[in-house]
Amino acid sequence: MEFRLPDPGEGLLEAEIVAWRVAVGEVVAVNDIIVEIETAKSLVELPSPAAGTVEALLVAEGDLVEVGTPIIRIGEGVERPVQVVTGQVQDVVAEPSVSGRVEDSPAAPVEAGGPASGTPTPETAGTPGTPETAGSPEASRTAMLVGYGAKPASVARRARKRPAEVLLPETDQVDESYRTDRPVSRRTDDVTPAAPVTAQPSGETLPGPGQPTGGGEVPRPPLAKPPVRRIARDLGVDLADLTGTGPGGLITAEDVVAAASPQAPSGGSGTRRMPLRGVRREMFRTMTASLQVPQATAWVEVDVTRSQDLVESLKARREFAGLRISPLLVFAKAACLAIARNPEVNSSFDAEREEIVLHGDVNLGIAAATPRGLIVPNIKAANRLNLLELATEMNTKIAVARQGKLQPGDLALGTFTITNVGVFGVDAGTPIMNPGEAAIMCLGTIVRRPWVIGEGDRERIEIRSVCTVALTFDHRLVDGEMGSKFLADVAAIMADPGLAMLF
Amino acid sequence: MSITPGEEFVQLLDPAGNAVHHPSFADDSTPAELAADLRDMVLARRIDTEATALQRKGELGLWPPMLGQEAAQIGSARAVGPLDEVVPSYREHGVAWCLGVDPVDLLRTFRGTAMVDWDSRALRFHLYSFVIGTQTLHAVGIAMGMQRDGVVGNPDPAANGAAMVYFGDGATSQGDVNEAMIFAASYAAPVVFFCQNNQWAISEPISLQSRIPLYRRAAGFGFPGIRVDGNDVLAVKAVTRWALERARRGEGPTLIEAYTYRMGAHTTSDDPTKYRRAAELQEWRAKDPIERLRTHLLRIGAIDEHWLAGLETESEALAERLRAGCVALTGDGLGDWFERAHAETPPGLLAQREEYLAYADSFEDAR
Amino acid sequence: MTALTMAKAINAGLRRALAADPKVLLAGEDIGKLGGVFRVTEGLQAEFGPDRVVDSPLAESGIVGTSLGLALRGYRPVVEIQFDGFTWPAFDQLVSQVARLHFRSHGRLTVPMVVRIPYGGGIGAIEHHSESPEAYFAHTPGLLVVSPATAGDAYWMIQQAIAADDPVVFLEPKRRYHERGEVDTAATPLPLHQARVVKAGTDATLIGYGPMVRTCVEAAIAAAGEGRNLEVIDLRSISPLDDDTVLTSVARTGRAIVVHEAAGSFGVGAEVAARIQERCFYALQAPVLRVTGYDLPYPPSRVEDDFLPDLDRVLDAVDRSLAY
Repeated sequence: MEFRLPDPGEGLLEAEIVAWRVAVGEVVAVNDIIVEIETAKSLVELPSPAAGTVEALLVAEGDLVEVGTPIIRIGEGVERPVQVVTGQVQDVVAEPSVSGRVEDSPAAPVEAGGPASGTPTPETAGTPGTPETAGSPEASRTAMLVGYGAKPASVARRARKRPAEVLLPETDQVDESYRTDRPVSRRTDDVTPAAPVTAQPSGETLPGPGQPTGGGEVPRPPLAKPPVRRIARDLGVDLADLTGTGPGGLITAEDVVAAASPQAPSGGSGTRRMPLRGVRREMFRTMTASLQVPQATAWVEVDVTRSQDLVESLKARREFAGLRISPLLVFAKAACLAIARNPEVNSSFDAEREEIVLHGDVNLGIAAATPRGLIVPNIKAANRLNLLELATEMNTKIAVARQGKLQPGDLALGTFTITNVGVFGVDAGTPIMNPGEAAIMCLGTIVRRPWVIGEGDRERIEIRSVCTVALTFDHRLVDGEMGSKFLADVAAIMADPGLAMLF
Repeated sequence: MSITPGEEFVQLLDPAGNAVHHPSFADDSTPAELAADLRDMVLARRIDTEATALQRKGELGLWPPMLGQEAAQIGSARAVGPLDEVVPSYREHGVAWCLGVDPVDLLRTFRGTAMVDWDSRALRFHLYSFVIGTQTLHAVGIAMGMQRDGVVGNPDPAANGAAMVYFGDGATSQGDVNEAMIFAASYAAPVVFFCQNNQWAISEPISLQSRIPLYRRAAGFGFPGIRVDGNDVLAVKAVTRWALERARRGEGPTLIEAYTYRMGAHTTSDDPTKYRRAAELQEWRAKDPIERLRTHLLRIGAIDEHWLAGLETESEALAERLRAGCVALTGDGLGDWFERAHAETPPGLLAQREEYLAYADSFEDAR
Repeated sequence: MTALTMAKAINAGLRRALAADPKVLLAGEDIGKLGGVFRVTEGLQAEFGPDRVVDSPLAESGIVGTSLGLALRGYRPVVEIQFDGFTWPAFDQLVSQVARLHFRSHGRLTVPMVVRIPYGGGIGAIEHHSESPEAYFAHTPGLLVVSPATAGDAYWMIQQAIAADDPVVFLEPKRRYHERGEVDTAATPLPLHQARVVKAGTDATLIGYGPMVRTCVEAAIAAAGEGRNLEVIDLRSISPLDDDTVLTSVARTGRAIVVHEAAGSFGVGAEVAARIQERCFYALQAPVLRVTGYDLPYPPSRVEDDFLPDLDRVLDAVDRSLAY
């Protein structure tokens, strides 16, 4: 049988094997000291739990062993000596055995006048009629307790027979506590009769402490948690009128709200939920992505009276008949012309190669508001188009966008975007770039304003058409100077379209 | 730790086993009675050493050994009369043995399967007490009750009883022990304070507890104190008989200081090598209580080797019974404890028990 | 039916107990000739003798410890601790011995002991004479803790406590010792551990014990003048608590305010509040509030009126509760 290292006391978890006191092949009796161990507190000698022959020492001197580890194997079936124990004093004060002198061994009986001190006096075992320790099956097969040490930490819950019922304390225990007839607990019956006391009782017997009689059942209030009660109070709903839809008739917040506004669809009135789908979802994503880029916005106020005049004259021309012409067209043309001089605003960043790509052409994105949301189709190589072609393209693209019939190619590969917030009556804004592009420019609403024109002594105020042009740019690709120059160029063209001839 | 010449120290049998004369005390035991004393000392020691071994095997959580104190315990236990009540501390395994406590019941407490599970009323041996010194007050209260019960001071000695309480040298520093002596003196209570001065309170020597020999404290409280060789069972018997007879007659309390030595550790969790010298142990080994009586009895022919062999066999059998009894001990489940806190268990506690039982039962591996 | 002060009512109850059972003993300092510093035991030694009404040495641990021994011998000791603040030397005997003996003896031994302690403040006393130690004992399994609020209850409860086979800490509100109340010596008393609804009400439940019951009643009377109908419960028994009476009341009113002199933190009010919120959760219109002493050692008597809960503080809490 293997025997384990017991808990040497008070929850110690391990011990060091200091010295084996027996060897393999040696015959041991119950309580013979087999090993000396050292714990965190002290040096301890362990007695043999069984009689028999030592078959194996399972750990070595110097090993640090955890409580519960098998340390020795003892076999049965050999004649074992019985220690003479009369007068034996077990010396718990063990001095480290210097030379292994037996007289220091606690197993040695100390007998006055006996044999040479320290030598165990073996006697044959088995005095007739004496129950022999080793012979009794219980003793040799008794497994040693692991000990009283702390249980190893458990990281898993014990398996339950059935899912634990969540007892609503109010239902079960409140009911329990109302039961009044409790059995009286057992009493002490065996009392040693004492000598009779001379005093005699007089007067009535003392009243016993009794048991509380208790009241009736607790009246069941509406089942609602405090937060729900608060909602009910705020909405003016009486909980008593409601039937709860929660477990056990619990009144939920939804129940209260539904009771407050019966016409509203469940979930309450006034609030609508819109799932993020399609176009909106895409806008959500691109805007979120875009704002990760360091951006700056510059703007300029422009006197666009001459652009308006140009627009009027274009509308009168035969070739532009049927097309929607607006300052946005001039704006788009101006953008393309200005890009030629300020190519950085028409660039993008190749992260893999860590290169700034200055695009040759301008795939001009036009932000279009459609019933489905904001869409930005782009006109490929808008820079190569003349004004009529540009106008045509713009019209077409926007019309198709509004019909929801854009092809993926229309939306991809844009290099620069313009947007017109002016149609909404907005003066200006800080547009958010299309991801992958270096800049976006927005045109604000055109308003009539007093404006200073002329120079020197011809300086005067006139009412002109003015709008704000704003440029948001990726500050990694376009610095402030570049951005401002581009903006200035656009503004110059818008202010005096004839200047386009210079580009 | 040696006795100063001139100090009162009742001894009737010296360490070599020679009879000693004392002016005030004598032992009138028959050889058979002395042999019985030896037998009980040997068996008590065997219980003690076996329990120590059981702890070392992990069968007990703790054991406080009384090794070396056999004479103090068996000798005093011999003096206990049929109406007396004995209040122990936690180390009186020898007294328990003599008064009929099943030694396996002693093991229950230290194995952790029970609190203190013997019938103290029937045995008139009260429950072990682990808060130092508190039991001395209980014993005085019992003695005060005996006064009111009319079992003190009767002309017929057989109608009288007294209380005896055991405590150690360390306990004498506790307030409760001193208050107990005040109360005992004040009411002339029939109580014997039996102090086993085994020289050590865990690692604190007696010199830390008291500047004067302990038995002299009694004079301060106003009753007799006497020191006896705690390793001399004859002297202990004689002195304890005297003290108990005094108390039963209504002459009030006595303090007995049994001067002995704790040969073992304070408990199995203690390591005395950290604070005691081997030389001291050697000195006391030479005063072994069992040795001297055995020598004496062999010399006077009260026993022989055959008798000793028989005792050894009996001792072995007792040890086996202890081992088997110990490993067979299982305790009550927690559910059984809910009704033990009160004589009349309040409804709330019964409800807690039901809750606990249902919870415990809800596991697949329900114990 | 007579009007007696609480001190006299307890005296009468003790006399009756001493007469009814020869095993009943009283022990304490100055309880004999002097009749106790509050005269609660006046005349008893003359009537029953010094063996049954025992003057004790000045040692609280000794008094309780020897009384435990007397209980082991079959007696029913009634110990008097002279003042709440002097209970502590006996704390070990009470908590490690008296409270546990039935348990540790596997149910074989009982300790039918009563420990009477005058407690609470409001009498302008010096240090250590105005304590409220009930929580320490209520928190000790094995001890029972009760406190009468009226002379009538005191008369009966002391007898019931003596008759109980378990140890009872009997807390006597010393500021009520000299207040008169009706004592019906022929009545059938309420069970010892049952709470009493002193005043029925609907708007909120005031829960108190000992000296604070009268304070709660006075608060309820004042509140009635404000149009509020408060229910007042006298717990009477702190351990075990009469959950039934308390929960039934709070389930109806939906609001509870617990009042005690002892410091609020970790006190009896905390236990009552915990039980109410656990078992009356759905009935609660407001959190359970506590009106208690502050978390300070008892202050100098000149400021004790600011320290102790009074009518105004109780009604202030009622206001807060009703505002939810």
